[in-house]
Amino acid sequence: MASVTLEKLWKKYGKVDAVCGISLEIADGEFVSFLGPSGCGKSSTLRMIAGLEEITSGNIYFDGELINKVRPRDRNVAMAFETYALYPTLNVYENVAFPLRAARRSDAEVDKRVREIAGILEITDLLDRMPAHLSGGQQQLVGVARALAREPRVFLLDEPISHLDTRQRARMRAYLKRLHIELGYTMIYVTHDQEEAMAMADRVAVMDQGLIPQVGTPEEIFDNPADTFVAGFVGEPPMNFLECEYRQEAKRYLLDHNGITIEMPPHSEALAQRGAIPQRVTLGIRPFYIDIGLEKSAIHTIPAEVFVVEPLGDMTVVSAKMLETRLQIVTAPEFRAQSKQPLWLAFDPDHTLLFDAETGHALTTQTRQEPAAGGSKAS
Amino acid sequence: MLELRSLTKVFGRTVAVNDLSTACKECELLVIFGPAGAGKTTTLRLIAGILKPTSGEVYFNGQPLKDIPPEGRNMSMAFENYVLYSHLSVYGNLAFPLRARRYPDEEIQRLVQRMAGILQISEMLDRRPGFLSGGQRQRVALGRALIREADVYLLDEPISHLDAKLRHHMRGELKAICAEKEATVIHVTTDYREAMALADRVVVLNKGRLMQLGTPGDIFQRPANDFVAGFVGDPPMSFMEVEYVEEDGQPVFRIAESEIRLPATPRVRAHIKEKGLPDAFRLGARAADVTVSPSADENHNVPGEVYVTEMLGHRSLLTARLGENLVQVVTPPEETFEVRDTVWLDLSQDNLHVFADGLAIAHPQPKGN
Repeated sequence: MASVTLEKLWKKYGKVDAVCGISLEIADGEFVSFLGPSGCGKSSTLRMIAGLEEITSGNIYFDGELINKVRPRDRNVAMAFETYALYPTLNVYENVAFPLRAARRSDAEVDKRVREIAGILEITDLLDRMPAHLSGGQQQLVGVARALAREPRVFLLDEPISHLDTRQRARMRAYLKRLHIELGYTMIYVTHDQEEAMAMADRVAVMDQGLIPQVGTPEEIFDNPADTFVAGFVGEPPMNFLECEYRQEAKRYLLDHNGITIEMPPHSEALAQRGAIPQRVTLGIRPFYIDIGLEKSAIHTIPAEVFVVEPLGDMTVVSAKMLETRLQIVTAPEFRAQSKQPLWLAFDPDHTLLFDAETGHALTTQTRQEPAAGGSKAS
Repeated sequence: MLELRSLTKVFGRTVAVNDLSTACKECELLVIFGPAGAGKTTTLRLIAGILKPTSGEVYFNGQPLKDIPPEGRNMSMAFENYVLYSHLSVYGNLAFPLRARRYPDEEIQRLVQRMAGILQISEMLDRRPGFLSGGQRQRVALGRALIREADVYLLDEPISHLDAKLRHHMRGELKAICAEKEATVIHVTTDYREAMALADRVVVLNKGRLMQLGTPGDIFQRPANDFVAGFVGDPPMSFMEVEYVEEDGQPVFRIAESEIRLPATPRVRAHIKEKGLPDAFRLGARAADVTVSPSADENHNVPGEVYVTEMLGHRSLLTARLGENLVQVVTPPEETFEVRDTVWLDLSQDNLHVFADGLAIAHPQPKGN
């Protein structure tokens, strides 16, 4: 296992900058996910780490050792792709054993390692089968097992489960996460699926246009996105954004969205007192943190009307119109309402984020509730 | 009303649609939902008249459509890979169905502008389809299908190529347009959230067969079988394979490869009495219906080992291992559990679906929250 250091890494394809001088330290044994939309540079970064792609400028180190010029096969990285080509004429055992035999390990060593990996991935029952007799999910597991057999220094995964169905994906996500806990490999995982990245990784590096606007734990990324790009990309349904004017009225700090007044969240009053709030502000609030009232009340002060109601089984998503702005609100599964029905909304002030409308950068941070010691009964 | 009566379509040796009977009421938004190969698109093409059924027939307002060619059926279609007219601009494509029906120019202009606004393609009206992205082309195809009046709108994965954010938005727009037009719509998708969000009723298909017809609430809360149960919902329903045995005169479910016993409810016993003992029992748990506790108590009396935990933002997901089974449970984000710790689950049958040979015989009690 090894630590991985990216130093001002740059990749150009002709005139196009795919990766623009990113730097990142990945600790030995850490699980880091590169998350971003297609074309953000995440796969190029992974391929440079693997040695499959030339580095335009910058450096990559494994355990402090510069590996820019080391050939891919000498880097000892394992790579798992979206599609696994298993050897169709070899059974599962021999597929997993293949890289070990190629490395001229003794039969006893090969057998010990194959059974160890098979045990962890729970494919021991499949060892005698031929690939053609495996389901898609099983083939992927065997592919992962083969990639792991050689005890790589770094394990790279490029959207390895994106083509599975929801059920298999949920299973593989849990497997891969447990695998990391069991083996402690340094794992770098590339995906465009925010839930996958958040669910599995110790830290998430969000990528956009060849840059990393934020790297942090899933909690940090979710609670305190560094800018509107990260805020909008992470979370499902996505965060709502409202363009607001900031003003001060007789010692009250207010946000104004096209004439609708919204109280400034208390956690940003200190900023306001310091005069650090720009005139144009983007308010961000996740659909989970808006409460719906059917009548105006002390807390339900923001007028809106129902656009459509989407029952999803475990929750209902209400699309509401606040003048011309569309908001999505997550509410109880049994909530139903007619189109155009008036609503009064309350934004949870603890989860109301403010961004500079000009730059998109976050102005405020929120703190997550401390874990309850020992945990109490879940509801 | 559109009716399918025993509709069957065979391609060579493959039965793509197998004895499908269902109906779409006037002004209804009916979603056909299923995995790849379920026969969804074939069904839509049979309704449109592009394909002829091997047996069975499509009826509209009681009349068989057998001898009516596609162009004679007043149906408007958007297919997943619908070909746009490449020599026409986006405007020309949207206007085409209206021009063909001799709408006045002013009316055409008004309708095209409005549809383009809703679909967020107003800036592209002058462009040719060749200069559009896949998602943009798909929106033009959807607009062209919806712009004219039709008896039935047939939409085959019309928003599948859009990125997540835009798909979310368009899902709402599509639902609003259909409601406003009071349109009769048959919409095909592989995305259960899209099916639930849009549908008045959902037809769940698998391998050409009808698995269930019901409201979104029905298919989520009262799935007819373990296929529907396992295919609808994210996180997906966790299944436990159990064996029905009598121990000390008490009927119980024994969870495979474990010491865990769950008492079988009167409902289960009644089913066995009536129908005989099935070959296999399966219990299904939705992640939000089951709770977990770090210590045992009256309700949390089934031990499991924490396999992994996943932080999903506003909530967390705990995967517990019970024998050979993995069971997923939603936990509040502020609760923390360590991998390999023992936790206690509430697996009373009030929280579970029970399947006998794949068919549901009991569902969780609705919770009044």
